[in-house]
Amino acid sequence: MRGRKVMFHRRWIILFILTGSLVWFEASSWAMPLESLIPKKDIPRGWSLIHGPQTYTRKTLFERINGQAELYFKYGFRKSVFAVFQSKENREDQIEVDIYEMESVLQAFGVFSRFRNEDRPGGFGLESSLDDHSALFYQGRYFVILYAPEPNQEILRKFSKLISLKISDPSLPPREIGYFSENGLKAGSIQYFSEGLLGHQFLGRGFQGTYVEKAGGQAEDEKKEFKLFLAIFQNSQKANDALKDFKDDLSKKGKVSSGSMAESETRVLKGEDPYQGKVMVVQKGPYLLGIVGFEKEEDGENRLAEFMKKVKLPAAQSGAVRSRASRDSRL
Amino acid sequence: MNREDLMFSEKIGRRRFIKRVSSALLGIATVPIWKAGHASEKIEKTPVLEYRPLGKTGLKVTTVSMGVMNCSDPAVLLRAFDLGINFYDTADCYMNGRNEEMVGKAFERKRQRVFIQTKVHDHDEKKMRASVERSLRRLRTDYIDVLVWHDHSKPDEVSDPRLFEFMSKMKKEGKIRFSGFSAHSRMASLLREAAKSNLHDVALVSYNFTHAKDLKEAVALAAQSGIGIVAMKTQSGGYKKEKMGGLNPHQAALKYVLRDQNVSAAVPGVTTIGQIEECAAVMGAPLSKNNFSELEQYYSFLRGKICTMCGGCLGECPYGVFRSDLLRAVMYHEGYENESLVRESLLRITRQDLERCSECPSCSVICKRGIDMKAQVRVAQQLMVQSSKSIVGS
Repeated sequence: MRGRKVMFHRRWIILFILTGSLVWFEASSWAMPLESLIPKKDIPRGWSLIHGPQTYTRKTLFERINGQAELYFKYGFRKSVFAVFQSKENREDQIEVDIYEMESVLQAFGVFSRFRNEDRPGGFGLESSLDDHSALFYQGRYFVILYAPEPNQEILRKFSKLISLKISDPSLPPREIGYFSENGLKAGSIQYFSEGLLGHQFLGRGFQGTYVEKAGGQAEDEKKEFKLFLAIFQNSQKANDALKDFKDDLSKKGKVSSGSMAESETRVLKGEDPYQGKVMVVQKGPYLLGIVGFEKEEDGENRLAEFMKKVKLPAAQSGAVRSRASRDSRL
Repeated sequence: MNREDLMFSEKIGRRRFIKRVSSALLGIATVPIWKAGHASEKIEKTPVLEYRPLGKTGLKVTTVSMGVMNCSDPAVLLRAFDLGINFYDTADCYMNGRNEEMVGKAFERKRQRVFIQTKVHDHDEKKMRASVERSLRRLRTDYIDVLVWHDHSKPDEVSDPRLFEFMSKMKKEGKIRFSGFSAHSRMASLLREAAKSNLHDVALVSYNFTHAKDLKEAVALAAQSGIGIVAMKTQSGGYKKEKMGGLNPHQAALKYVLRDQNVSAAVPGVTTIGQIEECAAVMGAPLSKNNFSELEQYYSFLRGKICTMCGGCLGECPYGVFRSDLLRAVMYHEGYENESLVRESLLRITRQDLERCSECPSCSVICKRGIDMKAQVRVAQQLMVQSSKSIVGS
């Protein structure tokens, strides 16, 4: 009897170990050493590695990029690797490569979004930006930046693709990117801030996207821009506290007006920020959703209503909302 | 009731207020507190502006200026401008040029009322010229107030005639008004060299309450020679309130730097409106006893955590052990994990040096940042043993 029990327990332990190993294998199958992402034997023909790979940690990143290291730390920097390649034909032709390993794909996107300039997609990584002197992309939890002192878009693309192929982290882009409607969205404008969204400490972390208002006859640089933003908090209470802080801030420095959205009758914080223009903010669970810098009230409301529909609550929150709604309906 | 008590009672009031309205839904919250804001609620605090001359340039800059480096929202710049701050530090390489673009866009119609400092890296003239042109385009201006060489680390770079010649050309062409250099390490020796060479208008240097007296003296020497001193890294580690148990020593750290009249301006790196308001409020405010106590606590927090290669330990060993190479070797081992660099650094230290170290009962070299020098020597000794083994093995 006792022997059977022991056997039973053993089976469970073996099953547990096997499952654990499988999970670990899955998780670590794409956790390769950072240095291995630097091309070595597969360097494009006519090029050679002349410096590195040199690894940097939190202690030493400052040596490589000085004070800008602080920005990476805000996005969960783990370590980075740096290398320089040189053309065998022309020694002036060089490519500097920095690969940063961040905590997650969200953080990698965040730092990428702070660096990319307009939308010049290069066709590599989860999203990329390419010009004559630089290539940037993020893939999985890696943010990659390549710099060419001499203009050389083609070789930047080649190296970027090579590195991209070596990254096996299968993480998908942050799902919040999909909440931003593409209608009028300025290409490559969605950004993730790990703190200080819209320049406000109280908004903490979140996403923002810039939109161009459609109005006929306006010159390109005169087109009015507005922003949609999504601030993310730990829970609804914290989001509510931040909304209160937002109201306090507007009443001190700008203007607050009450109001409700015509269609849904949802109450929103409406006002005017001295630096962002007209503001509308609404809470949805642990999120604050808003629009800033719009011109016409009605357009702003429509945009915000559309945004509210697109934003999905985290699973735990939507359950809480459902149960509260059913309780309220009973009252 | 003192100010702190007043703030406390205000917080309690706010909590009660929030409690009363906490019937807000978890989902799309109905927030029943949106009464229209009244004009009487507006409390606009304007800082007392304090200006100092930026060395021999003749520019009068606000003592609290702004390091734009990690900021991505023009609202923060515009707030700084409204607060009266007139000097802004950016660089060609920050955020792949995006930082300069933001500064350019924010100040396009205010250009005459702000001073912009940006940077260039040491290359050949063609590349440096292209870099300046790119900066001008991004900044949407036809002149840069101050252009500094990014990150000098050797005295001979400070007095390099080739670089000076380039800056002179840029000045003659009207692309820049003044020039200088920035330094993150060995600041004291670079400032002394700059004071001798008389080639620079401005020096942007790391300077904060953790630095040694030697740097303070070098700052004074450079300022007396007419160089405008702009202090960066003034908060010694940035805004990390949550990691310091609620301690907020940033105003105190800024006041400490500005207490030195040889400093023309400080450029704390800020990313939010709240931070720039906090910094701006420091102008004209004295360093209080409380501030000193905050700095002491902050110092204990930082103590022993980082070697900044300040060079303060050099020359203090009676046996002449080269401490910077030794520390560098340890840093390469622990930080870079690069054993070839470790070996390279160790080549400059002899085994006899390290053995002499072991003979000393106590180390006379004291690190101003509280780094345990004996422990560093022990690590270096181990590294030397490992290094010689690997050489023998190979």
